[in-house]
Amino acid sequence: MNRTSPLGQAGLWITILIAAIVTVFPFYWMLNTALKPQSEVFLSPPAFYSANWSFDAFRTLLIERPFARYFLNSLIVSLGSTLLSVALATLAAYGFTRFHIKGAGALIVFLLFTKMLPETLLIIPYFRLMSELGLINSHISLILAYSSFALPFSVWMLIGFFRSIPLEIDEAAIVDGASRITTLWRVILPLARPGLVAVALFTFLISWNAYVWALVLTTDPSMFVLSVGIANMVGEYRVQWNELMAAAMIAAVPVMVMFAFLERHLVNALTAGAVKG
Amino acid sequence: MSNTTTTTNIPDRSWTGRGLARERWHGYLFLAPTLLFLAAVIVLPLFHAFWTSFQRIRGLSSTFVGFANYVRVLEDEAFWHSLRVSLGFVSISVVAHVLLGLLLALALNKITFARTALRVLFLTPWMVAAAVGATIWLWLLEPQFGVINYILQSAGIISAPIAWLGTPGTAFAAVTTVEIWRGVPFIMLLTLAGLQTIPAEQYEAAEIDGATTWQKFRHITLPNLKYLLVVASTLDIINVVRHYDIIGIMTGGGPAGATEVLPALLYNTAFRANRFGEAAAIGVLLLSMVLVFAAMYLRITRVGQEDDRR
Repeated sequence: MNRTSPLGQAGLWITILIAAIVTVFPFYWMLNTALKPQSEVFLSPPAFYSANWSFDAFRTLLIERPFARYFLNSLIVSLGSTLLSVALATLAAYGFTRFHIKGAGALIVFLLFTKMLPETLLIIPYFRLMSELGLINSHISLILAYSSFALPFSVWMLIGFFRSIPLEIDEAAIVDGASRITTLWRVILPLARPGLVAVALFTFLISWNAYVWALVLTTDPSMFVLSVGIANMVGEYRVQWNELMAAAMIAAVPVMVMFAFLERHLVNALTAGAVKG
Repeated sequence: MSNTTTTTNIPDRSWTGRGLARERWHGYLFLAPTLLFLAAVIVLPLFHAFWTSFQRIRGLSSTFVGFANYVRVLEDEAFWHSLRVSLGFVSISVVAHVLLGLLLALALNKITFARTALRVLFLTPWMVAAAVGATIWLWLLEPQFGVINYILQSAGIISAPIAWLGTPGTAFAAVTTVEIWRGVPFIMLLTLAGLQTIPAEQYEAAEIDGATTWQKFRHITLPNLKYLLVVASTLDIINVVRHYDIIGIMTGGGPAGATEVLPALLYNTAFRANRFGEAAAIGVLLLSMVLVFAAMYLRITRVGQEDDRR
């Protein structure tokens, strides 16, 4: 339908090519550096491609540095906040979409409001409250903190998925004698499974990517998550860039892989249902 | 963009959806766990933050000082400096996000080859943790061995390596560039979704009338996207004004405060200077700025109103 002149076509692809280079080059350089042996990292001019692939940086991270531990911590707190958020959000989204809730509009606005709070403001009370409770350096403090942004996000996204399931399905189940809980568990959840998976993965990703909460709520290196472990390496006197880039890869690659599966849910996830078409 | 809005026209039957008459209050049972949890992890900390902003805190003891923290913050030149830095950082970033995001969306919308793959590719900077993205850029910008200095020197653009994060002007430019790199995909994705809702007939009619590409963009694309672009910019302002991670990793607010946006000032006041009362006051001021844009956002999108009607 849109005919474009050859000149226009060229301009189009040049735009896309430049954007692609700017987008991808930092990630290429991460990979390139992570796979360089120590001796090639500080070459001048730098090698844009080195055939001497080396996994020394990864080995150092996993054996000499506690990156396996950081990875495990990231996994525990991200999984914990995901399970907690998705479980609570499933109930809430069912309530929102299946019942008459007085003040539902105000509650939706409240959820939106929580997604807009500056996290740097919230880390102050979190740090003070968790200190008083003796929960600094605990997984539970991070799971609670991450759920504060993961739960509103999950509810918001799940409401969208639940609304797309016709109410007649609930009606049929209840007429057959099922309770609301049975209906939700046996009938609605299986239907909503693709949506639930998408919401769970996104919730996992935003927890995995969080930084400043863990920076404040953990002081013991054995409790660091990946992002804090990486930031900690940046502050070292002599930065080992190949190790740092390998660490960045350990944090980034799971995100990229999951993200490839999630792409089609993206608009809904990034705006969490906030923008209407 | 569809899920949340397509199903509001539920037939108004007495049974479905609103529940049986005898279980009218059951809906609140489903909401209760979430609401109680959010009260504990958001409302309570938020009140605690407000309360902290009226306290002077020394170690474990705290005394009520009224608005003294706010007065101190507002009389401190550092706050106004930080506000100006934030203003520059946010406005440059958001304008660049919108212009580049729009350009990229228009380009992607035109092509048919490898479109999905390219869309996934372009979104990567947004999906990867900002802290990780910032770390990669630290290495790219490294003064002695960084590849950016090497490329610029080879191309003859600069004659000697630049310590990008060492001087105020280049440090500000660097963190803004990284924020732009990270944020363009967000606008691109929204705009791309918006472009696909524009009816093809409008373009066909314009072509019959002999409209140029620019005229089609000016009189069809832009008016159709206006609403979306306003909403996306507002969301983007909210996202950028409270963002800390990139600056936290790359500069921590330095050098000489050149990149000390409000969230960085807040963090440094609380966790480097240990002045929690003042930091909370800065946080409340930052929150009130975010709320102005949140209110704008609500007015434009009317989120929540359709839920009240039902």
